[in-house]
Amino acid sequence: MRRLILAAGAVLLSAAQAQAPTLPLRIAEVGPAAGPCAPLPANAPAGQKAYYQLLAERLQTEVLNCPVTDAGAAAQALAAGQVDMARLDGAAYGAVSDKTRSVLITRSRGALNRLPVVVSALKSSKAESLADLAGASLVFGGPMQAAHQAPRAALRSYGADDGFFGAQRVAQDYEAAAAQLRNGEAQAMVLHAGAWQKLCRGDQPGEDLCADLKVLWRQRQVADQAWAVRLDMTDDWRFRLIGIHVAMHNEAPDAFAWAAGPDAEEYEPTEAKALIHQGPTVGS
Amino acid sequence: MRRRSGVILAAIGLGLAACGGEAKAPDGAWQSQMREVRMAVRGSEDDPMITRRLTAYKTYIGKATGLPVKLYESSDYNGTIQALSSGQVDIATIAGGGYANVDAQIGELAQPILTVRQAEGDIGYYSGLLVMANSPYRSIQDLKGKTLGYVDFNSTSGYLFPRAVMREQGIDPDTFFGRSSFAGGHTQAVMALDNGQFDATIINMGGGDPEHGFTTGAHFTMARRGVVDLDDFRIIWTAGPIPNSAVVVRTDRPQPFIDAVRGAMAALPYDDPEVWRDIGQPDGATFTAVTREHYAPIIKLRADDIAARRSGERQ
Repeated sequence: MRRLILAAGAVLLSAAQAQAPTLPLRIAEVGPAAGPCAPLPANAPAGQKAYYQLLAERLQTEVLNCPVTDAGAAAQALAAGQVDMARLDGAAYGAVSDKTRSVLITRSRGALNRLPVVVSALKSSKAESLADLAGASLVFGGPMQAAHQAPRAALRSYGADDGFFGAQRVAQDYEAAAAQLRNGEAQAMVLHAGAWQKLCRGDQPGEDLCADLKVLWRQRQVADQAWAVRLDMTDDWRFRLIGIHVAMHNEAPDAFAWAAGPDAEEYEPTEAKALIHQGPTVGS
Repeated sequence: MRRRSGVILAAIGLGLAACGGEAKAPDGAWQSQMREVRMAVRGSEDDPMITRRLTAYKTYIGKATGLPVKLYESSDYNGTIQALSSGQVDIATIAGGGYANVDAQIGELAQPILTVRQAEGDIGYYSGLLVMANSPYRSIQDLKGKTLGYVDFNSTSGYLFPRAVMREQGIDPDTFFGRSSFAGGHTQAVMALDNGQFDATIINMGGGDPEHGFTTGAHFTMARRGVVDLDDFRIIWTAGPIPNSAVVVRTDRPQPFIDAVRGAMAALPYDDPEVWRDIGQPDGATFTAVTREHYAPIIKLRADDIAARRSGERQ
């Protein structure tokens, strides 16, 4: 009987939703003048038309273009519910972070994922945070992009540029880096999170190979720009938007080329607050 | 209940690992069409805890799609392949060789949508030829006339790919080894080697490369569980990289479902890193979108292998 009632309820709900009008997707676009949301003009670039058409087909709704004058105005329109998607920078997002979240960035050709980076030190060290590492010697877990350049970029985005630290060395790999940290050749070790996980995960059940170390800092590089949506956007729309965008370079190259730009390789999802610092910055 | 379901579904090679999720009314038209999400997951013999940990994953996908999620745990490769090919499940995570099998059966009705990109940027893994450390074997040439355990006929790293590479290197795997057979899984292959049933076995390896060594694979996981000792084994030959496993969907499902589940899975390492780890993915890795083209070499390998067998060219 309970199943019958639930089934009947689901049918009624579906019928009601089927009759409800589908709302358009409104995309903020920065331009010389603000204006009301409207369908793309006939003379819009072919790539932009392809992008809007793709979203319209896949979301089964109308897609409207909403002219705004800058990222700040886009953020305000997003927070006010006047648009549904906007490309923001950190400053614009920061003003509306309680109402919006970032969902997508573009990954440049040859670039890596936005790797979480782990800075650690010996448990016996007096350092407790990144700020305590001013002038400290560092060892990186290898010369490769993931082990060296990417962690440096993440640190720089928090103000810890090369001048913030003392001597910096690059070990052959993460195990060699850990050895150098442990024998006192460096005061802190910088690894990407995957290397940290490999270093610390033992071969025996419950074994922690990093029991003598402590994590001082763990963050991703702060994103320069990201597509953002309102926090009250339904999961259905948010995840469909992400699903459409991450495959766009394969499924709709013309739309992707216009929307993501010439240097982009693909869209990549982001955490909600990718555009702002998730902890204190350091340095000058 | 679990045992009973397993018995009922055994005929088609699937065991119902965890029935249903939180019952939720469908949110919209495509949800009404789907009613539920049925996902096939490959049971991990070397990590039995994975099924329990998948509960959080199921909850995440359920929330993202607005639908109850049923996870179907298959005990072998063929179970997942047949479940996807027959339409019994909507989505499955499956190795390249398994997808090649599905592709041969239903073609465009199945489509790979995502694969894992590692922190270092690579999207592949390796086959490793494993021997006992106390054996005299130091290279693949030392195994002439010896016994070899493959993983499974549908295994990419444990059968298809290494055999092709051996042929490229002038070794006919059907005549070079004295005897070969299938262990049934990566864990079984390691156990059989450890028990002396084979002189060597070929299993998957990842989290590194031949130059820097590996950190993931069946014998690593088994060692972490205390089942075997890593020092008892030696890797003497590798082949790869092989395209990572694919998340494959049925294309006869509503496109909004495909988009939503792809978006939810792609967002997982950013939205919920704990669940990402729970499903066995390494920190720093993400999903990246792929198409059939990415697996074309594996599809060709499998087709060539089957054609050669049918023609009698290979055993």
